This record gives sequence, structure tokens and C-alpha cells, in this order.
Amino acid sequence: MGLVTIAVRNIWRNKLRTVLTLSAVTVLVIFFLLLRTVIWSWTASAEQGARDRIGTRHKVSFIMQLPRRYVEEIRSVPGVKQVAHASWFGAKDPNHTDDFFSTIAVEPKEFLEVYDEIKVPKDQVEAWKQDRQGAIVGDVLAKKRGWKLGQKVVLQGTIYPGDWEFHVSGIYTADSPTVDRSTLWFQYKYLDESRAPRLQDQVGWIMARVDDPGRAAEIAKAVDKKFDDRDIQTLSMSERALQASFLGMVSAILRLIDVVSFVMVLIMGLILGNTIAMGVRERTHEYGVLRAIGFLPKHIVLFILSEGLALGMLGGLIGLAIGYPFVQKGMGPAMEENMGAFFAFFRVTPELVVASFFLASGLGLAAAIIPARTASKLEVVSALRRVG
Amino acid sequence: MIPLTYNVRSLLIRKTTTVATALGIGLVVFVLASAFMLGTGITKTMVGAGRSDNAIVLRKGSDTEMASSLEVNTLGLIGAAPGVKHSNAGTSLLSGEVVIVIAQDKLGTQGQVSNVLVRGVPATALEVRPEVHVIAGHPPRPGTDEVMVGKGLRGKFAGMDLEQSFELKKNRPVKVVGIFESGGSSFESEVWCDVDTARSSFGRDGLVSSVTVRLDSPSKFDAFKATMESDKRLGLEALTETGYYEKQSSGTALFIKIMGGVIVFFLSGGAMIGALITMLAAVSQRQREIGTLRALGFSRFSILTSFLLESSVLSLAGGLLGIACALCMSFVKLSMMNFATWQEVTFSFDPNPAVLLGSLVFGGLMGILGGFYPALRAASVSPIEAMRG
Repeated sequence: MGLVTIAVRNIWRNKLRTVLTLSAVTVLVIFFLLLRTVIWSWTASAEQGARDRIGTRHKVSFIMQLPRRYVEEIRSVPGVKQVAHASWFGAKDPNHTDDFFSTIAVEPKEFLEVYDEIKVPKDQVEAWKQDRQGAIVGDVLAKKRGWKLGQKVVLQGTIYPGDWEFHVSGIYTADSPTVDRSTLWFQYKYLDESRAPRLQDQVGWIMARVDDPGRAAEIAKAVDKKFDDRDIQTLSMSERALQASFLGMVSAILRLIDVVSFVMVLIMGLILGNTIAMGVRERTHEYGVLRAIGFLPKHIVLFILSEGLALGMLGGLIGLAIGYPFVQKGMGPAMEENMGAFFAFFRVTPELVVASFFLASGLGLAAAIIPARTASKLEVVSALRRVG
Repeated sequence: MIPLTYNVRSLLIRKTTTVATALGIGLVVFVLASAFMLGTGITKTMVGAGRSDNAIVLRKGSDTEMASSLEVNTLGLIGAAPGVKHSNAGTSLLSGEVVIVIAQDKLGTQGQVSNVLVRGVPATALEVRPEVHVIAGHPPRPGTDEVMVGKGLRGKFAGMDLEQSFELKKNRPVKVVGIFESGGSSFESEVWCDVDTARSSFGRDGLVSSVTVRLDSPSKFDAFKATMESDKRLGLEALTETGYYEKQSSGTALFIKIMGGVIVFFLSGGAMIGALITMLAAVSQRQREIGTLRALGFSRFSILTSFLLESSVLSLAGGLLGIACALCMSFVKLSMMNFATWQEVTFSFDPNPAVLLGSLVFGGLMGILGGFYPALRAASVSPIEAMRG
């Protein structure tokens, strides 16, 4: 039997303490998974934003609109392949006024060309194009509300007052996990024909696909330059830059979560270190005996370090075994359904699983360093003298 | 009764474990106190902008000032409603404002832009909101392209400091002539300019976003609201200013509090187990000592209390440390997006005594809960067996 095996068996010497330590580490590993997934899912959309799409908005304020003719002008900018425009509508379900979901007016054909990660069955696309009041809704939203194909949905406008009737012509899914599947996209025609004449022929923002993702920033500049001496100037950036600027606004929260994850790692380390230190203190006498029969200080160090490592690994494994299904199957779908606008895809990444395991094991090892040093430096005689 | 010094000395003997456990608890108390300090800080900043004797009128169904728009001719109607306070000169105290969020270059970043709220106000605005004080320079003169900026924006955005200028729209530079404060409320993250300047720069001719009125007293609000909402054709909605800002901040504050709650739930679980482990080890190491105490005549009850006290002292020490660290957070200023308006608002951690005391009590409670089982074990030690070894 190797020394390491003996060391690992030592873990079971004080069963109650080991069980307690493992449960503390488990709780903290689960929590670590949760926090890092919050950060990841928040930043993921920024990193996975399409590289070949640029967005153009009013330079002064995102609540101000652009003239619709800008769409055609952007189409003529060299390097631009396809263009679509979108307008924020803002609506509430009268029966669930606290529940937020996005409602956006678009031109169906252009929209589906530019956002080709949004998937709608062909016949439903046709139905949407035919129906002025038609809309496509994300499968997550449709399921939550129990909306069926062909159903009539009445919403209250927050910016454009009154009751607005929509028909569910299609239900979309997406082949990119970071797409919000809780949005209602409806016909721009319907919005534009129903609002006051002075608001007509305006659009909220314009998205363009470019042929070379590497030139996205350059093309965005060219677009802004085109409108520079007009009454209304534009602000264009790649989808990634756009999402990065959104992240910039919530970066304080992200930093706080980072601090908390760090605090948690510290607590985990303290608990592991404490357990190992106490185990070592109780066994000082034994280490004296081992030294007396010829084991070297390095063996004692190996003993204690492998015990710490094993404890950390075990805690990490149990934490993952409980935490992974908890976040993946329990929290994930619930978050996507209720907070889809912020957490379109709330899942644990494989990298995080590996990282958590190594973190717990590494902490176990690191926590054992101080007790191991102390124990290895003890004089044989004084160790033997110590009782209990 | 076993003297407390016995417990303190026992803790001091096992320095490393004591420090490790106290640190663990301290960290939890720190996180708990900080989360709640931030939560109250946010509420204070955002709700603090409202007065209970002010009412705000919006277009019905629009949740925020930004989404709302009213025809200018409704102003007279609102001013004539019952309960509206009149100034000494006899005019009603009312402020019809244009609110818009503009993108501005953030200083200290690589070309990142963030949203700043611009509020076009009439000259009466300072009477309706007396808590807004100009601390440097002077208020913008009506009919000019002068603005004043909240002190929270100073130095955060390009051009937003005294004597500097920035553009509301292309070739429409405005000059900063004043810096104002408002007792820490979210107005301090806003730019105030003349209402006509805002209207012409943002194409809002003949419109205002919202109307704020001073009432004779908070109790007049119900009558005022009834008058405002009686004519359905006008489609107006009246809220108390406090109520309005509470609604605006509830999302962000709730988010922080839920987040903080979940975080503390998990962290305290971990730290409590840490305290449990420490106290269990203490009890098992001191079997003989406890037996001796029992033989000397101390009752099971005084052993139980003694060990409970010991773990409370341990956790209170940690708690005090945590609170000390949390107090340092009150020097930290955070700027974060308000989810309701998309505007960047500067918050601080609000060190109110209730939160600090509550967190300390929570820390002590963790010690007592974690120490209860070990103390029970200590109390059940049989003196004869323990002394036999």
C-alpha cells in the first residue's frame, strides 16, 4: 500500500469533520458554479455577437429615431450585403403587467435575412408576410404564455398608447444559444400605419450585414461619415462593440460578482485549511512515531499534502455532481424563461466544470501547505512528547 | 458560571484556527453588510429624488418619463387642478420638463459611450425641487444654451465640468455654467438645461415629457389624482413623486437585494460549517478539561453556555472585522445602469446603523447556531470517563 493511499485513508479518521468539511466545500462549489455562470451568460452574448453585423442608431440618443430612407443609403455603402431596420415598440400584456419582454417592429423578409440565426418554418414565414398584424414570437415566450399559432394577442403599448392586436403567425427558435427567445417581432407596416403622421417613416435602428467581418469597424465608420453633414447623424458599431458597451454599463455588477467569487474561494480555503490543520494537530504524536521509525520530513509533507489534495478533489467532485444538474436542469431553464432578456442562455460551460474541479483540488493542496511545513519541522522528541 | 476569560484564553491558544474561523465569518458579514448597504444606497439615491408633496403627471400607460409625452397645452389644465400650490406671485408651482437620454463619451475608456439623462426644465423647476442647489457657478439662464450638470457627472464624461462645453446635437454646443447637488439623489447624475433648448435640440416642439407639480400638502394628492385622471380623453396619469421613483428603482434595488440574499445564503452555510468544525475540535480536544470542570461542580448548563459564549465571541470578533471592512466600502462609488431608464447613475454604499447592526447580529447568530451542537456535546461529557482519558 503506497504512502498516498494511507494518507487518503486518513481522511476518514474523523468522519463527522470530513462530512462537514465536504458539505461546506460542496455548498461553495455549487455557488461558485452559479456565480460564474451568471457572469458567463451575461458576457457570452457580447462574445458571440455576430462579427459581420453592424448596427446604426441615432447619434444623440437611442430613443430618437432615424429617417427610414437611411436604410437604402446604408445599403449603398460598399461592403454592405443586406440591411434591415427595427423599431422598439414597448408593450405589456395587460394580464401580466410586471412581466417584461421585448416587442420590436421589423420588415419580415429583410429581418430574417440579416438575422439568419432565427429559425421559423417556411409556411409560418409566409403566413407572417401575408398578415399585416402578424408576429413571430420566441418559443420560450410562447410556451410561457401558452400562445398558439394563429392566436389573437392583445397588448398595451407603453410608447404608443392603446390596445394593439397581434396574430401569432409563427414561433421561432434559434440555432445560436445566445439569441433571446422571448421577443415578439411584428410587421413594421402595422406600427407605421397606425401611428401619428409626424412619427411615420422613422425607424429605431438599422442593422447591416457586411461581406468581410474584418472590415466591420471600417464600414461602420464609412456609414457614420455618410450622414455626418445631415440633420440627423448616426452612431454605428459592430454588434460586438454594441454589446460591449451594454456590458460597460452593468460592469459594476459584474465586478461585484467577481469580488464575491473571490471571497468565496477564500472562505473555501479557510475551511479546508482549518480542517487539515486540526487533523494534523491531533496526529502530531503519530508523525513523531513515523519520524522515529525512519520516515523523512518529506514523507510527512507528502502525507499531509495528499490528504489535502484528496479532500479538495472529493469536495469538488461532490459539488459538481450536485451543482451541475442543479444549475443546468433547475436554474437554467427557469432563468431563460423569466429573465431571457438578460440571460438568453444560462448553462454551465465545460470549461467551468474543469475549472471548478481544479479550483477545489488546488485549494485543498494549498491549504495543506502550512500544516505540512509545521509538521515536517517538528523535532521527533517534542512530537512524541505531545499527547493526544 | 465559568468566567468568560476562560473562553477567550482558549481561543487565543489555538490562534490559527481561531483566526481562520473568524475570518470566514467576517467575510460573510462583510458581504451581507455590503449587499444591503448597496441596496439601501440605491433606494436612497433613486427614491431620494422624490418628494411626497410633489406629484408627477405622465401619459397613461408609459412607465417612465422617457416614454411619456404630453401636449404643452395640458400644462394650464394641470396647473389649475385642485391642490396645486401657488407661489407668492400667484402662479402655480409646476414644472413641465423634457427628458431625454443622450450618448456621451465616457472619460477614461477607449471611446466607450454611456447614457446621460438630459432634463430640459423651466425656471420654476428649482422652486418645485428646492433640494437642488447650485454649488458652483450659476443656474442656466432661460433662453440660452447654458446647462448645469449634477456633481455625480463631473469628470466622468467628456466636457461635463464648469466652463467646459459639449454638444446636445451636432453644431449645438452647450456651455456648463453650474454644478448642482441634490442631497445624493439621482438628479446628481443628470444634466439640466432650459426647456426650450431641449425642445429645439431634440425636436420636441410643443411637447413635454412629464409635468411635476408641488401640492399644498401630501394629503391633497388623492384629489389631484382624481382630477387628472377624470378626463379619459386626455389620458393622463398622476403619481406621487416618491411613488414614481420607488417604481423606477424597485427593479435595480430588488435585483441587488435578491442577489445579495442568495449570495449570503450560500456563504453563510459554508462559514457556519467552518465554525461548527472549529468548535467540535475544541470540544474534543478539551474532553479532560471539561471533565475537570464538571468534577469541580460546574453544571451541565454552565458548560453549555460557556461553549456557546465561546463560539459567539469567535463569531462576533469575525463580525466586527467584517463590519469594519464594510464601512470602508462607503468610500467606494459605483456607477451603474438604472434598468428602468438606461441612464447611468452613481451610487454609493450607504452605511446605515440598522444594516450594520443587523449584519453583526447575523454573524453572532451564525456562531451560536454553529456552536450549539458542539456545546451540547461538551455538556454531555461524563466527568469520570473524561478524566480517565
